[in-house]
Amino acid sequence: MNNNRLLTVEMREAFFTALYKKAFPAVGRHVARMGGSLEEAQDIFQDTLVIYYEKVTSEDADIVVNEKAYLLGIAKKLWLQHYKAGSKNQPLDDMDLQVAADERPATGKLLHYLETAGKKCMELLKAYYYDGATVSDVAAQFGYGGIHSATVAKYKCLEKVRGTVKKNSLRYADFIE
Amino acid sequence: MNNIKTIDDYLLGNTAPGDTLLFEAKMLLNSDLREDMQHQQHTYSIIRQYGRQIIKAEIKAVQQALATEPQYKSFMQRIVNLFKK
Repeated sequence: MNNNRLLTVEMREAFFTALYKKAFPAVGRHVARMGGSLEEAQDIFQDTLVIYYEKVTSEDADIVVNEKAYLLGIAKKLWLQHYKAGSKNQPLDDMDLQVAADERPATGKLLHYLETAGKKCMELLKAYYYDGATVSDVAAQFGYGGIHSATVAKYKCLEKVRGTVKKNSLRYADFIE
Repeated sequence: MNNIKTIDDYLLGNTAPGDTLLFEAKMLLNSDLREDMQHQQHTYSIIRQYGRQIIKAEIKAVQQALATEPQYKSFMQRIVNLFKK
């Protein structure tokens, strides 16, 4: 189990603010030297932080000794890809090697539907599967009496969302305007 | 809870090696199970996209705070200066 769980918005805000202070000047300097703009540096750094967040909250996170150098490394790589693609809006998914090759179309609509119709479940599933929260974290954060009821809730939510995903794949047209 | 937990364990790599083999054999024989597994895999990808969307919004809010709050003024000014030709 990893010890880098950043479970609240406040914890993450402090985490990201510290990383901005630590590494954004170096990333800015690099992007400026490469002829980029401040906006580009900001975009690159946002994606850098998303990638770094996913790394530190993943179960098999290694210890990063020099965060600043590490972040600069990610940013340089992203800049290179951005520069090669010649597009400001290359999505993060294309840059992240860890992403399964299984992002299907119409997911945007489906996600939008889930955000409105099943927000609580999405929040709970995000905490567990994306933020790396433990079941007892989930119990505390979402007000469940204990690990057992939080586990049940987690599977119920997963089942509910999977059901929607399934319905979506069968009745594709429902999620298209 | 039907097969949700079994598939969860399988996809997250929490299944014992012998059980993994057994589960994969079951999937070969049972197309419903195979489909459920694919839908569940898609579900995780949607959860990841949802998570990313939220994290990115939080990062943008931090960036916005740095750009506007007085205590970060000189910090931001130094960065802005890097881009002055």
